[in-house]
Amino acid sequence: MTRAANRPVKGRTSRIEARPARANGQAIGLAIDTTFDDTSVALLRGRRELLANLTLSQIAEHAEFGGIVPERASRKHLEAIHPLLDRALAQAGIGWDGVDYVAVSNVPGLLGSILVGMTVAKTVAWTLQRPLIGINHIEAHPYANFLVHGELPFPLMHLVAAGGHTLLIHQRGHFDWSIVGRSVDDAAGECVDKVAKMFGHPFPGGPLVDRLALEHAPGPYAFPRPMLHDGLDFSFSGLKTALFYFLKQHEGRSVPEGPVVSAFFEAVLDVLVAKTLRAARRYGVKAITVSGGLAASRKLRARFDEKAREAGIALYAPPPQLCTDNAAMVACLGAYRYEAGRHDGMDLEGFANLPQ
Amino acid sequence: MTHALAIDTASDYLSLGVLRAGRPVANHYALCGTRIARTLLPQIEELLAGAGLEPRDLDVLVVNRGPGSFTGTRIGMSAALTLGRVLGKPVVGVDALSVLAAQADPAYPESFHVILNCARDEAYAAPFRWEHGRIRQLGEIRLTTLAGIATEAGEAPCLLRRFEPVFPGAEATVTGLTRVPLRYDQPDALRLLAVGIPLYLERSGGPFETPTPLYLKSEAFRTWRAAGEAVGGATGGATGGATGGAAGGTTGGAAP
Repeated sequence: MTRAANRPVKGRTSRIEARPARANGQAIGLAIDTTFDDTSVALLRGRRELLANLTLSQIAEHAEFGGIVPERASRKHLEAIHPLLDRALAQAGIGWDGVDYVAVSNVPGLLGSILVGMTVAKTVAWTLQRPLIGINHIEAHPYANFLVHGELPFPLMHLVAAGGHTLLIHQRGHFDWSIVGRSVDDAAGECVDKVAKMFGHPFPGGPLVDRLALEHAPGPYAFPRPMLHDGLDFSFSGLKTALFYFLKQHEGRSVPEGPVVSAFFEAVLDVLVAKTLRAARRYGVKAITVSGGLAASRKLRARFDEKAREAGIALYAPPPQLCTDNAAMVACLGAYRYEAGRHDGMDLEGFANLPQ
Repeated sequence: MTHALAIDTASDYLSLGVLRAGRPVANHYALCGTRIARTLLPQIEELLAGAGLEPRDLDVLVVNRGPGSFTGTRIGMSAALTLGRVLGKPVVGVDALSVLAAQADPAYPESFHVILNCARDEAYAAPFRWEHGRIRQLGEIRLTTLAGIATEAGEAPCLLRRFEPVFPGAEATVTGLTRVPLRYDQPDALRLLAVGIPLYLERSGGPFETPTPLYLKSEAFRTWRAAGEAVGGATGGATGGATGGAAGGTTGGAAP
């Protein structure tokens, strides 16, 4: 628990000075993301110049539970957010009055956690009398690509493989997009975490599964590719169940973990690649992006690189640290919205679920 | 003279109060439920504008830090702590039971118990008394069962909160308790200011400790687990024999 001394400022009425907003392209945005278990803040000048990007992971706080405990996550966000904001401002070398607008993820995720970040963001924006911009966390994930690669050629097909969602997003321009494929049960990332857990590994399982898949060939093992030839939606719970029964059948016998996990991940990748390329063909798109936590996988990136090249389609992926949840991507989408005048009111709401 | 904003979202009510030059000039108290996160900032904006104040005019923030609704308490704390941080002004945290106690008639000279029902069969209880126009907490906040309230209160009169109609039937289990005479009919943000502003004035110039939410109930759960006390299940553990554990495990925090 943070117990910083909280002294009144003597001799001044306020640290906030009235100041006209900076010109587009030079405006500094503060972005906050508390949608799941990471507390993230970022400061961005214009659309690309990251002044600070800090994320405090709560993984250790939840380790004993083998997953994320929502109430505990909300509490940790409130403890972490103010020290993190102080550090970000110090790193960027600006004060509160240097912030031109505030962007915050208000959908989707753990509602109790979202409400902490959203209330902090609203309060900063109102106190500074600056615009507030609500951000769809899922729409923001691909903006990690705009942040590092600059303008990308529309139309685009995005694969967003985040913890709670696996989505295919067809984007025709900024703020003009639709979800054309989604996970109907477990998301791919969720399935990977659960399979790692079956092998007795801690949450999150992604990094370990990626390493095993790189180090081992699948050998004789093969697992189902759910809905591989069927539309653009994803289903991974059947694959998880297949692993569960495989391990049950081999109970008491030694199972070569590396090859089995590698075979499992092959099935995940086959589905992700096939659906993304099918979506690109169906919508006549010449460029695809991958983002979300699972896109940090080296194996996934190598496979997409190879298959996109074969298909003659351009591929964009952000650096791994911008795949997992971060406020930099929120800041980047925030910058586009700010410049376009797409601001929100102080009555912004938080939502746990994506609109259907 | 002090300009202050009080924020209380620890219950189902959204409660805001504004002090302008030391005088209460605005008060908002309305049932809000789950709309608090959406409504809070627009309501603050309207109330402060109505009082002719800008955010930067505020000298101090006063916030109800619970115990109460976990999410509600966090929303109020998020706003108050952020305002304090951005403005560089102190934030004073006041416990929910002290706000309730400040409803009692200041002319009443004896000690009394504030009982805040927090679940079907559980309540927080703490003793208070008015002293020289200030509400003073005389003992730590204890988690007790409804059946245990009479024992907890002894002969002292009580101030009950969140019984009927929130928990139907709860009132019947505590009939026979005498009630403390009230001067104020609702625990609104002006009560919060009445407790918080004296704290601010007496600490003025010194360091202010940043308040933290008082979640209490699950803190008590954890203490019981750590102490190896019998906890039947995730939800059933707080009733029955748990009261004894709360005495050693939870404290009333920073009450005056």
